[in-house]
Amino acid sequence: MLHETQTEFAAALIFGDTNAASKIRAGKLTAMRRLEIYRHNFISNLRDVLKDIYPVSLTIVGDTFFLHAADQFIRSHPSHSGDLNQFGCGWPAFIATYPHAAELPYLRDVATLEWAWHEAFHASDAPPFDLGRLAAFPPEVHGELRFVLHPAVRLLQSNFPILAIWEVNQKAYSGEMGVDWDAPAESLMLCRDVTDGVGVLIRRISKSAHAFLYALQTQATLESAAAAALELDAVFDLQGLLLESLQSGVIIDVNVPN
Amino acid sequence: MPAIATLNSLRAGIGLRPTHYQAILEEKPAVSFLEVHSENFFGDGGQPLKYLARFREDYLVSTHGVGLSLGSSDLLSIDHLKKLKRLVDTIEPALISEHLCWVGVNGRFLNDLLPLPYTPESLAHVVQRVSEVQDFLNRPILIENVSSYLEFIDSTIPEWEFVREVAARAGCRILLDVNNIHVNSVNHNFDAFKYLDAIAPGSVGEIHLAGFQDTGEVLIDTHGATVSDEVWRLYEYAIQRFGLVPTLIEWDTDIPALPVLLGEAEKANRVLAAHSQRVANAA
Repeated sequence: MLHETQTEFAAALIFGDTNAASKIRAGKLTAMRRLEIYRHNFISNLRDVLKDIYPVSLTIVGDTFFLHAADQFIRSHPSHSGDLNQFGCGWPAFIATYPHAAELPYLRDVATLEWAWHEAFHASDAPPFDLGRLAAFPPEVHGELRFVLHPAVRLLQSNFPILAIWEVNQKAYSGEMGVDWDAPAESLMLCRDVTDGVGVLIRRISKSAHAFLYALQTQATLESAAAAALELDAVFDLQGLLLESLQSGVIIDVNVPN
Repeated sequence: MPAIATLNSLRAGIGLRPTHYQAILEEKPAVSFLEVHSENFFGDGGQPLKYLARFREDYLVSTHGVGLSLGSSDLLSIDHLKKLKRLVDTIEPALISEHLCWVGVNGRFLNDLLPLPYTPESLAHVVQRVSEVQDFLNRPILIENVSSYLEFIDSTIPEWEFVREVAARAGCRILLDVNNIHVNSVNHNFDAFKYLDAIAPGSVGEIHLAGFQDTGEVLIDTHGATVSDEVWRLYEYAIQRFGLVPTLIEWDTDIPALPVLLGEAEKANRVLAAHSQRVANAA
């Protein structure tokens, strides 16, 4: 009985079904009007979540457009958790196929960046790598080492200048509003600020650095990660990037070869 | 189960929201505790938890859940319980609370505090679930009465009796939201004072105060305004009946500057002090 009531109630909120109305006392307001109040609360709570996670997307398309898209997303993409930080993961893919956004092809990648930021913000903390540990490995095993990236690190690539778009749409931004649309494809890394351990930084990186770090993130050995980077850039500075990644808390651990 | 840490019974607490983080760190206002929404700290790490640990150094903290879905006919989410337990074990809150409502069904969350039909079936179900949660956390929890904008025809138990019985049978205490009682008394046309009379003295572990919005159709529990005069009168009555209960000012929408929130807390402090004085005089 409880299950049936709740199922009908949910259908009323999500799809506007009328079955639940027969179980609700009317009085001053009709049963449907009462359900409408809950329907409104349900939609506006989840809208607020999307607005919080995707503020740049919201600024780009404006309130009216965003809320229309959000309503459709909310109905077609169920929330599966009582923790609202889990909601909205599918928004970039949704917006890529949303017909009214067809003229804004970069929206998907901007949203992908915003979701990556959200994940990086809530990811585990990890102390920086102790460089002294490297001394324990003789040079002949270096190629076999598998470095572990900080759990907050996210690597992205886009054909659009999404970081510039992101920057000019920040509330605190006061510079030129222009974005160079002819800029080459962009590789980005999100990581934690090593000085406080929790701030999220977005950095432009080279394509070869992206290939190297992506290889490490997918558990490649140092040797094969370096090979992936060298394929894109014959003068790739392995030493420099490795040292910087170790010092800036991007690499947090190393697994020793067997 | 571990005992509940002692709160200053003469001072109210306030809801902790990110807009006030800096002001609270700088001014260290004399509130007895800070209350957070548990789920906002379910992440694995990062800034939210770093801040919370920082506040925990100066204050007692209460974790208030909005997403456990105690009243749902779905199974309790073990993942949700594990995250709650992780937070509780880290922060060691003075109070842990959840709502007497359901939040989703059939695996789909609506993420709103939805009312239950007040029936023997719902009662037995919620009692069982509260016990499961307390066993899982190995800590007592408080359950909060919710505001509602509708009633189910099937309901056979008055809301106040339902709340009282859940606490009595599950062995938990009540987080009595006095604003929600007022909102419901107007929306469903009952006597709010009679509601308070029906709740057993000794069973109330916390009181919530907040503001509502009158839409003309119904009162909506927005947590977006000062506490109304009617609610202050109910609160005074509640303190006389239930004693010096830890009291919290909630403000979640249109959040004002910190002094406004502290002003509301100060009003609650005066009610607590007056009661304490009356008790002393009577002794």
